[in-house]
Amino acid sequence: MFALGTGAASAAGGHQLPLYPHSPFEGTMLSWVTNSMIMVWMAAGLIILFCRAATKKMAMVPSGFQNFAEWLIEGLYTFFGNILGEHLVKRTFWFFGGTFLLILTVNYLALIPGVGTITYNDSEGHVQGLLRGGNADLNMTAAMSLTFALLWFYWAVTENGIKNFLAHIFAPKGDFKGPMLMGMIVIFFLVGILEVISIMIRPVALSFRLFGNIYGGEQTLGGLMALVPKYLAFLPALPFYFMELLVGLIQALVFTLLSAVFLKLICTHGEDH
Amino acid sequence: MFPIYLAAAEAGADAAKSGLLETFRVDWPYFAAQFINFIIVIIVLKKFAFGPIQNMLEQRRKRIAEGEEKLKRIEQQLADSEQRTQEAIDKANADAQRLITEAKESAASLSEKKAQEAVASAQQILAKAEEAAKAERKTMANELKKEFGRLVTATTAAVTGKELNDADQKRINEEALKSVEG
Repeated sequence: MFALGTGAASAAGGHQLPLYPHSPFEGTMLSWVTNSMIMVWMAAGLIILFCRAATKKMAMVPSGFQNFAEWLIEGLYTFFGNILGEHLVKRTFWFFGGTFLLILTVNYLALIPGVGTITYNDSEGHVQGLLRGGNADLNMTAAMSLTFALLWFYWAVTENGIKNFLAHIFAPKGDFKGPMLMGMIVIFFLVGILEVISIMIRPVALSFRLFGNIYGGEQTLGGLMALVPKYLAFLPALPFYFMELLVGLIQALVFTLLSAVFLKLICTHGEDH
Repeated sequence: MFPIYLAAAEAGADAAKSGLLETFRVDWPYFAAQFINFIIVIIVLKKFAFGPIQNMLEQRRKRIAEGEEKLKRIEQQLADSEQRTQEAIDKANADAQRLITEAKESAASLSEKKAQEAVASAQQILAKAEEAAKAERKTMANELKKEFGRLVTATTAAVTGKELNDADQKRINEEALKSVEG
């Protein structure tokens, strides 16, 4: 049976929004479908519908949806182009643009009233939201980060070649000769190992940053709503809704911007190469 | 206490007790499903959103570039055309000037020639007229002389009352003419 209320209201009663998603179809063959996954599908459907509407009757002189979609995509293309350069952005924009739009839409959909506040009790008696912000699920943010990590490796190797890729990480930077060179080779090899660890941590950091910010935002809204009687619950959360709108945009930007910078760093050919 | 801090503390405690993945319930089926979802969404977006829109943007960019190129070509052609026109006008002006000069020279020469011809013709006519006048005057003088001689002879014959012979008539006429001409 579903209950209508706020996550924070539940928190006030001793529960808070769980750290993990839950399947509303628990015990059925759809038990792999989680409440956050439904939100991601909704966001994807919304984006795809918008794109279909925008690209259905494309004209050389744009209007309506097409105009907006072109403005959005051209703006994103220019934005990522400034970071990645003309060549890389042409190759990778589909990933960065798509990821940005998906994260942004998922973040904003999570702010729609009812998400996280229409609840039910699971088989263990925990209060679960029927819908949950897509990025308030570490599975989702980790999936995006892992996809980026794999693509990063692929792009880095194809852009640099395997030799240059390894040299980029392990080879000494600078013009050294003689014994100094030998010392630098050792030092840069050790630095390279640190670099590899840093590279491996990147997807983890990306996942937790996005998850933490979105989950934290939802908890904040819920917590603030629980501070006052139910009929005034909207009031303390209202200013934070605006902040969450900003956070949703900033986190989408941060995720994609950092990803783009990581790619640019490995694909930059310095004078030392 | 503020529930967020409680939640965070609880999460931290849970994470410490159990594994990180278990705390955040990063399960393979969920993760795999989200991974596949994400890949599908990104590919669909690439195919149905970015592809057509970027194609359109590229087409427009090309069209603008072509337009710019055409504009430059047209401007160049216009400049060339203007230059050619100016050259043609200059050449036509030069030709016209030359023709006018030639025409003027020709007209002056023709005029001079015609004037000379006219003068020559007039002089000729004048000479002929003078000759004709002289001849007529001579004829008239001869006729007058003849008439005068006849009158003198007739008068002499009438005054003297005798019939004059040819020799007399001739002498009287000659004397009378000498006295008139003398």
